[in-house]
Amino acid sequence: MAAVAAPSVFSGGANVVAVGVLLAEFGMFRQALLRDQVRLYAAQSALISVLAVIVAAARHLPELYVLAGLSAALKVVIVPILLRRLLRGTGRDSGEHGWTDIAGSGALSLASTVLLAIAVAAFGFFSVGALAIRSPVLPVTALAISVSVALVAFVLMIIRRDVASQAIGFFSLENAISLTALVVAAGLPFILEVAFLFDLLVVVVVFGLLIRVHHGRAESLSTADLTSLRG
Amino acid sequence: MSLVLPIPIIQFLQAATIMGAAPGISGVIARVEARLQGRAGPRVLQPYYDLAKLFRKEALAPQGASWVFLAAPLAAMTCYLTVPLLIPVLTTFGLPLGYMGDILGGGFILSLASFVVAMAALETGSPYAQMGASRAKTFGAITEPVVLFVVFVVALITGTDLPYALAATVRSSAGQIVRPAHLLAAAALFMVILYETGRIPVETHTGTNEFGMIEEARPFEHSGPYFALLKWGSAMKQLILYTILLNVFVAPWGLAATASAVAVALAIVALLAKATGLGIVVAVIDNSFAKLRLFKITEFAAAAFLLAVLGVFTLYLGGG
Repeated sequence: MAAVAAPSVFSGGANVVAVGVLLAEFGMFRQALLRDQVRLYAAQSALISVLAVIVAAARHLPELYVLAGLSAALKVVIVPILLRRLLRGTGRDSGEHGWTDIAGSGALSLASTVLLAIAVAAFGFFSVGALAIRSPVLPVTALAISVSVALVAFVLMIIRRDVASQAIGFFSLENAISLTALVVAAGLPFILEVAFLFDLLVVVVVFGLLIRVHHGRAESLSTADLTSLRG
Repeated sequence: MSLVLPIPIIQFLQAATIMGAAPGISGVIARVEARLQGRAGPRVLQPYYDLAKLFRKEALAPQGASWVFLAAPLAAMTCYLTVPLLIPVLTTFGLPLGYMGDILGGGFILSLASFVVAMAALETGSPYAQMGASRAKTFGAITEPVVLFVVFVVALITGTDLPYALAATVRSSAGQIVRPAHLLAAAALFMVILYETGRIPVETHTGTNEFGMIEEARPFEHSGPYFALLKWGSAMKQLILYTILLNVFVAPWGLAATASAVAVALAIVALLAKATGLGIVVAVIDNSFAKLRLFKITEFAAAAFLLAVLGVFTLYLGGG
């Protein structure tokens, strides 16, 4: 069996940051408090901004610096603040408690969920490996990781039973898509990259509306109530 | 002074270093942990005094225990003396007996030792020992595959599964250190080490805490010299696992490249210094985190499994 050759230091470092994004996605399964999930989402967005800065420095694409700064400002600072304000008043006693509520339990136990997510991520890895897409900017492993993050974000949305966790799952799906865009299309015109970010803002508004409406009708954030018949 | 040691002496020194230094490393960890808590703590050589005391005491066996109960400590000690011959403890080059088994064989012998001790504990009929043995083997069902996947990462990176080859590969370039597969495998192995040596967050190493004990409960019924052999064996297992992590993954520097006496002596000192450093890290972790609830330990093991599996996946696409 031949040895797998070592990547260059740039490839290895970029892949480590991409793996960090995937591990943050897996970490969201573990976090019980909504506050911790949002912090993990902010950390994941920060990692993507770091990767954008690394690519900008190594591949000489100065627009990526601006993109990294903009997405960091939006996803690391503004979206968590918006989520905190949206969740205010949704806790058991109203007030700040919605922020520190424990997220509704998932359909599976944590260890089973992680094993399922590993299987799904494996599918993502090997299907991208079979596609033979080569990017001049980042190694193929980063593309495979971004597809796996998207698939694991879907698993997060399916397994979790409360609206806020599902919203954060959707936001991390947008993170995965922006990571894919970074790998495949780093040289895109700047205006298109900014368009992705405004898409995120629309999603935040829509999900915020959903959270408030659901909480107003069901007095809780859990979607388990929606499966029972009315009357 | 260019005294060259014959190779059999170096082989003997490998096992002797692990055997002699293991209780000292346990003593250092206990002392550092106590200091971090603001206590004076036991003296560093206390485990040696404990072993000497236990060897003088009388050995008892529960009624109904058979020869397995008495043979298990000896079998475990034999396994723990065999594994240092297979891993890079002191030298960068492979020693003749080191080709008896690869890193997979070393992992197999370590789990064989754990298995015979669990067998002896099950044989006693004592509730605490049986509970500890059954828990250890149940969680072992998740941590043993983690060790397997770490071995697979080693095999994929180097093309062989000799641990010496991976140590040489890691020393060869900076690109080998920052590759994600290497970091993921090292992190997964560290989490398995925390489980196998019975440290926070898996169980409390100090004191008896019956409902939380996993590894600590298995030698409950042994006494006298047999108990001493079991305690010594688990300290040796700790140092062996530290050596695998340090000399193969994290810090494979300081090993002797030639057979000269000075180089080997420096290698012994370097190994003890690195193991002490890792012990200090483990003591800081002990004082920083809380012990996990028993049913949350599966999450810990699942996280280690995730890291190891991701290490293999990133290698498959050639970029890890």
